[in-house]
Amino acid sequence: MKYSYIKSRRKSILTPEFTLLLTFFSITIFMLLSTYSFLLYRDYSFIAQRKSMEMQRVVLNDSIDEMQESIRFIEVQSLLGERVYTQNSVLKESITNLFDLIPARITLSEATLLENGLILYGVTPNKDVYNFMLQAPLRSIFHKTYSSFYPTTNGWLKFVSTNYTQNEDMYISQEIEDED
Amino acid sequence: MFTSIFESLYNKVFVNIVVDRVKTTVYIERCSKNSILSEVEEVFNTTSITKEMKEFISLYISESPFHYISVLDTSSSQGGLPTCVKNKIPYYEDLTSSVSKCFDKKWTYYTSQEDLYLIERKYEKVGIDFIFSPFVLLTNFFKDKIDNNIALFVVIQDSCISLSIFSHSELLYAKHLDLVGDNESEDILMYDDHDDNDEIEIDEGIDLEGIDALEDIDSFDDFGDIEDLDSIEDNEDFLETADAEEAFHENMQEQEMPVRESESFNEDYQRFLLIQSAINDFYNNSKFEGLFVQNIYMADGIGVSQDLKRYLEEEMFMDVYTRQLDLPSAVCELAKMELGL
Repeated sequence: MKYSYIKSRRKSILTPEFTLLLTFFSITIFMLLSTYSFLLYRDYSFIAQRKSMEMQRVVLNDSIDEMQESIRFIEVQSLLGERVYTQNSVLKESITNLFDLIPARITLSEATLLENGLILYGVTPNKDVYNFMLQAPLRSIFHKTYSSFYPTTNGWLKFVSTNYTQNEDMYISQEIEDED
Repeated sequence: MFTSIFESLYNKVFVNIVVDRVKTTVYIERCSKNSILSEVEEVFNTTSITKEMKEFISLYISESPFHYISVLDTSSSQGGLPTCVKNKIPYYEDLTSSVSKCFDKKWTYYTSQEDLYLIERKYEKVGIDFIFSPFVLLTNFFKDKIDNNIALFVVIQDSCISLSIFSHSELLYAKHLDLVGDNESEDILMYDDHDDNDEIEIDEGIDLEGIDALEDIDSFDDFGDIEDLDSIEDNEDFLETADAEEAFHENMQEQEMPVRESESFNEDYQRFLLIQSAINDFYNNSKFEGLFVQNIYMADGIGVSQDLKRYLEEEMFMDVYTRQLDLPSAVCELAKMELGL
């Protein structure tokens, strides 16, 4: 039961001192939470950045591997190109020399250049002319030389000379792989 | 909800202010949920709120936001009425400019709206939460006697008395009476009763040296209709009304706390006259139910002399029982009751 003539004033815990204290703690807690949130964000950002950079690193590593593979391939190609150029030069020189080697008494009807050999078709007056004047220089150039003769109607001999050199490119490729 | 949680965490500070004629007593009690932590009382020789008093109160109320400042209403325009029915109240008193409250749906206590406003203005520096009527204080103080007695209950304060007559917790009559001021007390006036007037009028001067005889009190004739008084000693039924238990407690109290001899003989006599006039008014005023009152229970808030009791016993043939009343503590109790503690 209420006995007083007047009603009690409304009581609040928000006294000036309490308000000051509450404000101070609120600001402190807000700053702590802000700092914590910022650090969380930065942490999340760093983790995302690290993941991204790791992925980039993987991609770059893959790219480097691919590039190194390409470099190796190009180096091989370059080496092969040089070889081919050298071989071509040598072959060209050889062909030039070959045609220089062909004596006037032997007539070539066909010459087929193979990758590692040379097939010559022609007519020779006799085997001796062929053996002494053509086969001897061919043997000095090629590692293997096979010759076949067919007699013609006028007493001359058609010949097929098959000459092979050993495939040195294979050896070169094997050497490069061994080095790697 | 949050307020009640915080309220249980904080201590409560009860500031209780009782204003006398020349001094103000400030009683402060710090309470936890179940116990009193500390209590302090300070008396200031002023009736207004001074800087010193304000600082004293502020020192304690700053401890807790849940502080309650209570004031005992000592204004003269207050009283009590034996009804709560709004239609019947104007029969007893015009309360258009008063604030009234119903007590337990049985009786009404009231005070002047202007006086309440003045009290609130007076204490606006510290604020005020409760203003209590001395009649409520009296009812609470004598609640063990009010329920089963027909008696006059009086709260004696320094500058006033509040008296009420209860019949088994039903209020029959209530009056708040101020003592005359210091200047007037030197020329104290004898009371002269008028049947048709509620107000107490003191018309005739009195020679204090001649107070010892019943013949000097003209108003005693007004008790003539109570024939039992003439043969009081022979009436066994009458003797049964004596409260032996209260008398025992009173004797014990007197032994423990010797009552001060009144500094002013006039004051006790004035109080006696006021009580006497109030009883006369109760008997003679047709508005009130004139039951016979034999016992007087006095709540002594200031330490009156034995003279007052002697006057009442010898000149009005009443059984008087006195209890010492610590007014600030009693106001504090009311504040706690107000909060449901």
